[in-house]
Amino acid sequence: MKHFTKNFAKTLLVLTGVFTRPLVAFAMQAQPVPIPESMGTMPQVEIDGTGIASVNYGNPIENGKVRYAPGIDFSDSSLLIGGAQRLYNNGIGSLGFGVLSPDEGNAGTTNPLFVHQAFVDYQAESAEFLIGRSDNRASHLVDFPTLREEDLITFTNPLDPFSNGSVLEEHRYANVASFTLNQDLTYFEDFHAQHLIDSQGIGSTSTSLNSFGAHFEYLCAPGMEPLSRVVSYGIGYEYETISQPSTRGLNQVSAGGLINLNQSLVDRVDFRAQDLVNFGSSLKSFQNLNDTYQASYNAIAGSVRYLHNPFGQPGYQISLTGGYRSFFGIDQAGSWGLAVTAAKRLGEGFDLVAQYATQWRAANLAAQYQGQTSENVGQIGLVFNFSGTFNPHISPRRTPLNTQHQYIPD
Amino acid sequence: MADNEKRDKDESHLSRRGFMSLAGTSGAAIGASMLLSRSPTALAAEPRATTFDPGTTTPDYPPRQLPKPGEKIHEFDIDLAISVHEIVPGVEMHAFTYNGTYPGPEFRVPEGDWVQVNFTNRTSELHTIHWHGVQVPCEMDGVPLGTQWPVGLGQTFKYLFRAQPAGTHFYHCHNMTTLHVQAGMFGAFIIEPKVDPVKKLFPYEREYTLLLSEVDTHLVQTQMNDMLKMMGQMTAMNQSAKLMKEMNGRMMGWFQDKNAFLNAVKSGYIPPYVSSRVGAAKPPSFNFFMINGKSFPMTDALSIRSGENIRVRLVGAGAMPHYMHLHGHDFWHVCQDGSPLANPVKMNTIPIFPGTTSDIIIQGTNPGMWHFHDHSDLSTTNNGQFPGGMMTMLMYEDADKYGVKVPNVIQVSS
Repeated sequence: MKHFTKNFAKTLLVLTGVFTRPLVAFAMQAQPVPIPESMGTMPQVEIDGTGIASVNYGNPIENGKVRYAPGIDFSDSSLLIGGAQRLYNNGIGSLGFGVLSPDEGNAGTTNPLFVHQAFVDYQAESAEFLIGRSDNRASHLVDFPTLREEDLITFTNPLDPFSNGSVLEEHRYANVASFTLNQDLTYFEDFHAQHLIDSQGIGSTSTSLNSFGAHFEYLCAPGMEPLSRVVSYGIGYEYETISQPSTRGLNQVSAGGLINLNQSLVDRVDFRAQDLVNFGSSLKSFQNLNDTYQASYNAIAGSVRYLHNPFGQPGYQISLTGGYRSFFGIDQAGSWGLAVTAAKRLGEGFDLVAQYATQWRAANLAAQYQGQTSENVGQIGLVFNFSGTFNPHISPRRTPLNTQHQYIPD
Repeated sequence: MADNEKRDKDESHLSRRGFMSLAGTSGAAIGASMLLSRSPTALAAEPRATTFDPGTTTPDYPPRQLPKPGEKIHEFDIDLAISVHEIVPGVEMHAFTYNGTYPGPEFRVPEGDWVQVNFTNRTSELHTIHWHGVQVPCEMDGVPLGTQWPVGLGQTFKYLFRAQPAGTHFYHCHNMTTLHVQAGMFGAFIIEPKVDPVKKLFPYEREYTLLLSEVDTHLVQTQMNDMLKMMGQMTAMNQSAKLMKEMNGRMMGWFQDKNAFLNAVKSGYIPPYVSSRVGAAKPPSFNFFMINGKSFPMTDALSIRSGENIRVRLVGAGAMPHYMHLHGHDFWHVCQDGSPLANPVKMNTIPIFPGTTSDIIIQGTNPGMWHFHDHSDLSTTNNGQFPGGMMTMLMYEDADKYGVKVPNVIQVSS
């Protein structure tokens, strides 16, 4: 009897330990947490999803190849899930994990989904530390209002000199370790080291750090974006440790910003512009797409957008985005692009969209696109974006209350 | 002068009625009071008259009168600002605070005196003050777009009215009420009677005002941010003729009348309550329950001595009913919504519904330390953790004399 009692107590103790852990976590935890006795509390859970589906017509170039037939395009559709919780000393800890569908040339084949976010983040009032897969720190200084983020990407985005060009998302996302300071949640200084995705196989190891940089950014008061003349601006420098016979270290300088031409809640007109300068490479010709990312170039992009916002709710939007790119020391390699984009809001987060984009490339550059000097694509489709928060108990850091009054992390 | 004469006349009439009522039904109450505070001989001579009249709701003073030269006016300055309020250690929230406090300061004015409150709004949000239970002239009632324009950033609105009727009342913002009250815009308004019938029945020296409320801290933060964002834009609009012209009538959901509202809907305005704008309803999920803005164990205790009567004014300032229960004692419910009851009621748990006030008399009959808390037990938690919330203690200052050992300990959830 005594023996039974002892064993019973022991069993009870074990069972108690079992049942204090969530069943799913207990069964499926891939790795034990550092302190397994305490797995944490229920965090704030956030889900963000975007579906973009369009019918395309034209000669889009995907994965470096021309596709002439009309197609159905669902690229850039994404799902992001995140968790966040308040930490002991007013910090906020969070994680994000998200995937998006790359272009049609990759989806359904070797790369059906691209992990664009997989990070853990620590935020305090005046500092943030993020590690993992996230936005390439050099790539989001200015976001342009094209339908998809890879539209006109060679003009609007710093290019990954380690990419082979098969997945355009490689220019937008990277493995990142960044430390960001801020003053009044208005001025941000970001210092980071990155591993730009090396699909070309240039680096010696698959995840070694190959990009280092610093960026400064200004954001206007939250909520005042439609009425501030200067909404945002920034400047950044990136050094990429590429080691090739003709490219021994690359420098990227970027600068840009967003201003309102018509400050208005109803009829807002804004203008954004960006200049990217890539220098340090002595490439004088192109052998492949990767060379077009490494070579020294200057890319400028600008966009004018009109947003009709009656009764405080978006009605429709029209934008014209253009870009021009020229290479230093390489003739017949210039290119330009234009995109006219329209969106009609049908409901919260649900839009009818249409876009016509055209690009022209000079002969030496076009040779890397199967000789295609011009690319014209018309698209019409639907976009649905939603964002949901469960178990809410943390607000964003950059709020009117936190910027105008004392900072409180809740 | 005529008014005063009328009032004196009414009071004498009321006294007789009160005496008859209490003599018949509230002997027990009077008896308890006697035992507690006076010798039987003294109590035998105690007048048992009261001065309340349940038979009329007519204001004693015509509300639309203005002050006459020489009449005393109690003037108060109330500034509204955004401050940080701590509910319990470790839990802070941004709040709308009258003169920097959550809840706002307690007003205490003699019955019939004039009151002028200079209310200055130092936030970009729109606000008013509604004098809940006070018989003010219509223009002073503090209902935005009803009796007045809401008070904007930097503006001062002067509320002027006569303090009537006597009793426990309160005040609160009447704009975006569900948000602004949770955010701290409420306070007690006590009108002291010329003759206090409660004090006559239950002699007391000390009294306490407990404002009961609750808050969904996350909702307050979220909605305050949304409102500040909109009001920042409104402020910019007010400074720009161009923006004013293009935004006129299209942002705040303000319409001249029902027809204007209907016309706006026909021309594309989508009201914010329809499912295509808001999705599913998101009612508040209250996580902190407070007495005077604090949750247990940071609530202030009620002090009492054996044989003493204390008066406790309970105010339902929030959106939920609360059922205040006192351990080890019965107490007398003596006033409701400011008015003395014809017959005080003996209870140990009293419901306090939103918008109501109840005055009780606690008699020092059982030395010790006793819980006084909402018996809707979900309200005795802090963020879901017991103990906490709407709870305080009745502390006997002379408990030691009766051999009661009061432990020097505070319990918080672990």
